Amino acid sequence: MKLSPRAKFALTVGASVALAISLLAPAQAATRSTVVLHQTNPQTGLNCSLSTTNSTVCTEAASLTGMGFNYYNDKKKLVRNTIFGSYRVVTNKPNDFRVRYTVAEGRVWSDGTPITGVDLLLSHVTGSDEYSKAAGLGDPASETEKPAFNGLLYTSTYGKNIAGDPVLSSDQMSVTLRWKTPIADWDLYGPGPSPVHALVHLAEGKTSLQSASANLAAKERFLTAFKAKDSVLLKKMGKVWSEDYSITTINKDTNPLLLISNGGFIVESAVPRTSMTFKLNPRYNSGPKMDGSIDTVVFKLITDGTAATQALANGELDLYAGQATADVVAALNKISSVNVLGGEVAVYEHFDLHLDTVEGESAYSGIFSVKGGARAKALRQAFLLGIPRDEIMEKIIAPINGVKEPMCTTWVSPGTAEYDKICASNGSSFYSRGTQESRNKKALALVKRYYPDAVKNPVKVNVLVPANNTRRAAMFAITKANLAKVGFDAVGDVQSGWGALLGNGKYDAFFFGWSSGSITQRQSCDVFETNGQANYIMGLSIKRIDSACNSMFVPLKENILLTKYILADRALFAEAATLPIFVFPAVYAVNKDLKGIKPNPLSPNLTWNYWEWNY
Amino acid sequence: MAAFILRRLGALGVILFGSSFILYNLAAISADPLEELRLSLDPSRDAQITALTRELQLDVPPPLRYFLWLRGVFGIFVGQPNFGTGRDGAAVIESLSIAIPVTLRLVLAATILAAILGIMIGIVTALRQYSRFDYSMTFVAFLLFSLPIFWVAVLLKEYLAISFNNFLRDPIIPITWIIGIGLVSGLFWASIIGRNRKLFWTTYAVAFILSSGLVTFFGVTGWLLNPSLGPIVILGLSIGLAFGVTQLSVGLINKAALRASLTMAGLSIVAFYPANWVFDNYPGPLGIFLMICGLITTAVFVGLAFSKIDRVPIVRTSIITAVLSGGLVLVDKFMQTWKPYMETEAINRRPVPTVGERNDLLNSTDFWISSLDIVTHLFLPTLALTLIGFAGYIRFARGTLLEVLNQDYIRTARAKGLTERTVIMRHAFRNTMIPMTTILVADFAGVVGGAFITETVFAWSGMGTLALQGIRSQDLNLLMGVFFVTATMAVLANFVADLLYSVLDPRIRAGSGE
Repeated sequence: MKLSPRAKFALTVGASVALAISLLAPAQAATRSTVVLHQTNPQTGLNCSLSTTNSTVCTEAASLTGMGFNYYNDKKKLVRNTIFGSYRVVTNKPNDFRVRYTVAEGRVWSDGTPITGVDLLLSHVTGSDEYSKAAGLGDPASETEKPAFNGLLYTSTYGKNIAGDPVLSSDQMSVTLRWKTPIADWDLYGPGPSPVHALVHLAEGKTSLQSASANLAAKERFLTAFKAKDSVLLKKMGKVWSEDYSITTINKDTNPLLLISNGGFIVESAVPRTSMTFKLNPRYNSGPKMDGSIDTVVFKLITDGTAATQALANGELDLYAGQATADVVAALNKISSVNVLGGEVAVYEHFDLHLDTVEGESAYSGIFSVKGGARAKALRQAFLLGIPRDEIMEKIIAPINGVKEPMCTTWVSPGTAEYDKICASNGSSFYSRGTQESRNKKALALVKRYYPDAVKNPVKVNVLVPANNTRRAAMFAITKANLAKVGFDAVGDVQSGWGALLGNGKYDAFFFGWSSGSITQRQSCDVFETNGQANYIMGLSIKRIDSACNSMFVPLKENILLTKYILADRALFAEAATLPIFVFPAVYAVNKDLKGIKPNPLSPNLTWNYWEWNY
Repeated sequence: MAAFILRRLGALGVILFGSSFILYNLAAISADPLEELRLSLDPSRDAQITALTRELQLDVPPPLRYFLWLRGVFGIFVGQPNFGTGRDGAAVIESLSIAIPVTLRLVLAATILAAILGIMIGIVTALRQYSRFDYSMTFVAFLLFSLPIFWVAVLLKEYLAISFNNFLRDPIIPITWIIGIGLVSGLFWASIIGRNRKLFWTTYAVAFILSSGLVTFFGVTGWLLNPSLGPIVILGLSIGLAFGVTQLSVGLINKAALRASLTMAGLSIVAFYPANWVFDNYPGPLGIFLMICGLITTAVFVGLAFSKIDRVPIVRTSIITAVLSGGLVLVDKFMQTWKPYMETEAINRRPVPTVGERNDLLNSTDFWISSLDIVTHLFLPTLALTLIGFAGYIRFARGTLLEVLNQDYIRTARAKGLTERTVIMRHAFRNTMIPMTTILVADFAGVVGGAFITETVFAWSGMGTLALQGIRSQDLNLLMGVFFVTATMAVLANFVADLLYSVLDPRIRAGSGE
């Protein structure tokens, strides 16, 4: 073939241009297949149900490596995982409430062993006090003796309400639980799958993956032991469950039986206080299909906020999930390669007033005591009116996640239709109507009714202030300044061990955050009902709340529950006992290329929807 | 002497016992391990509190609980120390055994570098007292001295990691930088070397041209993306090193030493290709170690072959030269690894990291790539710690050397007609090292205690992180474990310093202080 000189020239130019372009154009970066997540607390082991391992990091890891019958989504709704299995109420009588859980055919553990109903039985062993005692595994309530399965699952809703042992169906795919009475939120307390064949092998001292037939035989051995309440095998399994899973160093020498799981990822390696690496589980079929291209997830521990922001800017992290302060948000906003997402965590900051002596605490007879009658109530109202919630939101919370509205109830979470309905009629408007100035005026009038020269001689209020928390220090400073305008002298007692001092008779007011790990019907009952189980620190005793809470043990329809919430909340605001302020803000910054990250206010905050992640 | 050692060891035990008792109780009183649970709305809260109380023996009052802890520690005498279990479920002794090497890696290199650089610059400033160089180094020393590490770390990360990595995407060095680097380097060398105006400006010009030229060369050839030294540069540098080391060690006047050093420099280049072959085919610390052994043996023989009398200094000189020029070959190997390292998926062309001890995604079985990964991760923390640490050494070395130079024996040495080199290196420098030992030893004890802030800002998990975790999670066993190790090291270091003193300075005799 002959080419004219012009054609040659054109060809040369063309080739040169092509070469130049190929050299100039940035090399097409290969699609990333890894996600590096930021953690601020060190990982604690593989079994999160122990007192030593019960941490948010553990929950995040467990969510990557395990799938059960349901999970919380980012709207705080409990979603059924129908791919793994199904569950339904089969008997619904006042004294006989049964739920059947069925594992879908064909679900497998990461070693290929089929998941069956037998795998659901272990959660009864670890959760039922009765079973533990009957099988000779120890009394979980004992203060000296450790039970064989030394976890945190005993003596809770499950153990208190379960009747008898779960019944396994003849095809071994279903388990039926029987509750003593219909219980609220029963779907939260159902069984979860555990690789019992791995536990049996571990209990028998095996150190490598076993054959399929050996796995099935091991499963049978557990079933026999479970039915016969054979304490010999169960005790050995308990030791494995309580101790062997508490490893923070994982590498090629780690017993692979410990890593068997059914989630989208399997733990590959872990370095204590440094990082944890997860690899795709090729046999995963227990949850939604993964549509992403991600094959490796790394948890990287970076405790320092600035270090994490810089690591994010340097591409060493794909997601920042650390401290939520205004400074950090400003720094994150400057990084061009990430999207900043404001968020919330399910912790509610609030002011509590002391109404009466709390059982087991020193006597309270301060200015807010119910014994003071109308005067004390007026003072409580004035105090709560004097808390400048708008200013707190504007100065402390809005710079982080943009939320400017203070909370108006703690019974349901903000952003839902129920929340708006409750707020409209629970009496909270008394503390949000008008401007802070008009509220100050109202408060001052209330105080002056009993202390005419309160402005000159302010009423002393002892407030317990949590130490080592800059946000709370700022919040208290703002509050103190405004309270001075309405005739109160808020005397802060800064204590590092404040948790143990809650309810102490020395203090008139407390402020801190309640954290809630799940959404339940009885939500705030444990705090507000007379002698409530948790955080009963105000000495509150309101009949209407008690009766509302007493009726919440059984499953209720949504609209009925809502009226009960409103009833209880109205009583609470009328008593001027407590005032919610804000939901703890969170901030996340995600690599712009990474799609599908949806922070969840409940734990696990990030890994709950890993199947939706992709680049 | 034996009585002295026994007495000191006894005191050591008493100090450890007293301080650990006090710390245990303070820590136990100040922290409430149940605090988080008390605020929980979890239905199983009470069960959790019972379980935790049982685990941590919280029902035993702290002063008594201390003795439960102490009983475990006394297991040391039967070879089974039990520091208890941390609240994360891991045995404290295991956590410590993981953290100590990490801390050593982080702080050891920085401490040694800081000491060497600091002492070197300190000596130069002392010899050039009240010169421009002295003043500027004093200024720099005070500046670095007063910088907080977390701030230095932020700056270093911003400029040497994030910006540098961005720059590497398209490494064209702007002209302003070329000139700027030339100007600074000219000033640096001219103020050290330039004793009169002519020498000053000549040095300035040479340094300026060399540095700017080098930077331009780097920019034009894309050297930063694929660096290497190559045999010729290594040879040149080795010859330079041979002259320098000989001058400092025995003086250029000693022809035998110079010849031995030059031979070693030449040999290192002869060994360049075989060494690279070993690097590629037998990668690993063993190969490097064996080659270093071979190198030193050769150096000893070469030194012996060239010398007839006064052999020790000559052998020493040739060993130092050999190790340094061998080091250049190793550096060159790391440089050759740079390009493949940058191209791994985990690194993704951003080779300078800001956090961590290693890249968790790097799944390379290549010894050189994973070693380089460790080196890049060490780079910023070591630099930060060195910058801050060496300021103290500069001031201390300068002050000590100036004091020594005013001593009578220095005047005597000069009066004997000894060369300036001999006076400085043999008479002055050695005596300067005696007081330096104290801070060196104290620094080493501090090394094991970890660098709390440095570890935090660079996300390393050494002893400092353990201590912080112990404090944050109210983990008494962990906190006490860290304390026990650091306290023992501190007390032992003081003890060792006392012993070293008597070895270094014959005028001091331990145990005769009655």
